[in-house]
Amino acid sequence: MRTLATILSVWFLCLASAFGAEGGYHTLPFNAPVVVDLGFFKITNSMIAMWIVAGVIIFFAQLATRKISLIPSGLQNFAETIVEGLEGFLGGIMGTKLARETFWFFGSVFIFIVFANWMGMFPTVGTVGHYDVAADGTKSDLIPWLRGANADLNTTLGLALAFFALWIYWSVKHNGFGGFLSHIFVYQGEGAGFIKILLYVIFFLVGFLEIVSIMIRPLTLTLRLYGNVYAGENLLELMLQMGGQWFGWLAALPFYFLELLVGLIQALVFTLLTAVFTSLMCHHEEEGEHGH
Amino acid sequence: MDFVHILAASGGVASDLKAVGENLQQQFGLHGQLLISQMVGFLIFAFLLKKFAFGPIQAMLEQRRERIAAGEEKLKRIEKQLADSEATTAAAIAKANEQALRLIAEAKEGAAAFSEQKTQEAIAQAQQILAKAEAAGNADRERISTELKREFGRLVAATTSQVTGKVLTSDDQNRINEEALSKVGN
Repeated sequence: MRTLATILSVWFLCLASAFGAEGGYHTLPFNAPVVVDLGFFKITNSMIAMWIVAGVIIFFAQLATRKISLIPSGLQNFAETIVEGLEGFLGGIMGTKLARETFWFFGSVFIFIVFANWMGMFPTVGTVGHYDVAADGTKSDLIPWLRGANADLNTTLGLALAFFALWIYWSVKHNGFGGFLSHIFVYQGEGAGFIKILLYVIFFLVGFLEIVSIMIRPLTLTLRLYGNVYAGENLLELMLQMGGQWFGWLAALPFYFLELLVGLIQALVFTLLTAVFTSLMCHHEEEGEHGH
Repeated sequence: MDFVHILAASGGVASDLKAVGENLQQQFGLHGQLLISQMVGFLIFAFLLKKFAFGPIQAMLEQRRERIAAGEEKLKRIEKQLADSEATTAAAIAKANEQALRLIAEAKEGAAAFSEQKTQEAIAQAQQILAKAEAAGNADRERISTELKREFGRLVAATTSQVTGKVLTSDDQNRINEEALSKVGN
C-alpha cells in the first residue's frame, strides 16, 4: 500500500511539473505517414505495423497447429482456448451455426484489432524512424517507421468496408435478395385490418431510415475504432513528452494499463457490433437456437 | 423554395461533401490505394488465419465434440447394458433360488420316501431273520429233543440191562425206549 502511494505521489509530482513546463508538445499526426513511396504503391507505417502483427499471429497460429493432436498441449492449448472462447462468445450472439460459418471473419477481426492495438504500445512504435531533409537542409519531424495499425483511418475503414461487403453477402445468402429487402421494408409481425395496413406503411417508411442507419454503420465503426486508438496513442505520446526525458515513462505508465484495457475493449466492441449487425439480419435462420 | 434555390442548395451540399472528402484525404491521409491495400491485407490475413489456425482448430474441436458425444452415447449404452445385465442376473439368481428350493424340497421328499422304503425293507428283513431264527431254533430244539430222547432211551436201556443183568435185544431196547419216552413225554 505504501509503495503504491509513493509511486502515485511521484507520478503526480512528475505530471504537475510536466503541466507547468512551457512550450507546446508534438502530437501524433492524424494521418499515417508514407514511409516507402514506389509511385504506384505507397506503404505507410501503419501498413508495416499491420503486416508485422499479421505475420506474428500467423506464425504463432502455424506453430500452434503444426502438430495438432486430439489431446492439446502448450501453444495448441492456448490457441484452442482463444478460438473456443471466441466461438462461444459469438455463438451467444449469433447462434452456433451462424457463428461457425462466419467465425473466420469475426475471429480474425477480434484477434487482429486486439493485437494491433497492443502492438501500438510497444517500444519503437512511433519512436524509431527517419527525418526527411529538405533541399534547404531543414529536417522534418520524425517519420516513425511504425504506427498503431488502427490509428490509421485507412485500416479502420478497410475493416469496416470489408465487413460491410460481407454483411451484404451473408444477408442475401441467408434471406435471398427479396428477403433481404423485405427484412428492411416489410412489417413481419401480426395484426389485422387498418392497424396492419398502417404498420405496413410505417415499416415501409422506417425502411428508408434503416437504409440510412445501415449506410452509416461502416462510418461509425471506422471512426469509433480510429478515434479511440488514435486518442490512446496520442495520450501516451503526450504523457511521455510531458514527463520529460527522465520521467516520461513514469507519467505514461498508468495510461499504458488503461490502453491495454482500451485495446481489448475496442476489439470487443467492433467484433460485438459487427456480430450483432449480422445476427439481426441472419439469425432467424437458426431455428431452435435463438428466438427473435 | 423554387427549383433554382433547391438546385443551388444541392450544389452547396455537393461542394460541402467535396470539401469533406478533400479534408479527409489531406488531414487523415485517406487514400484509395492505401484503403484497398489495408482491406486486401486484412482479408489475406483472415484467409491465412482461417487456413492455418481456425480451420484446423475448429476441425479438432469438432472432432473432440463428436468423440465426447460418442463417448457419452457409449456410456449410456453401457449403463443400459449394465442395468439389463443386472436385471437378467437378478432374474437368473431368483430362478436358480427357486429351482434350488424346489430341488431341496424334492430331495427331502425323496429322502423321506427312501428312508421309509429302507425302513420297511429293514423291518421285512428283520422279520425274515426272526422267522429264520425261530425256524432254526425250532429245528435245533427238535434235533436236541430227539437226541435227548435217543440218549435217554439208551441210558434207560443201559440201566435196564445193568439192573436186570440181561442182554437186551434190539427189540427190547426199542420197546423200552418207547415206553420210557412215552412216560417222559415230550
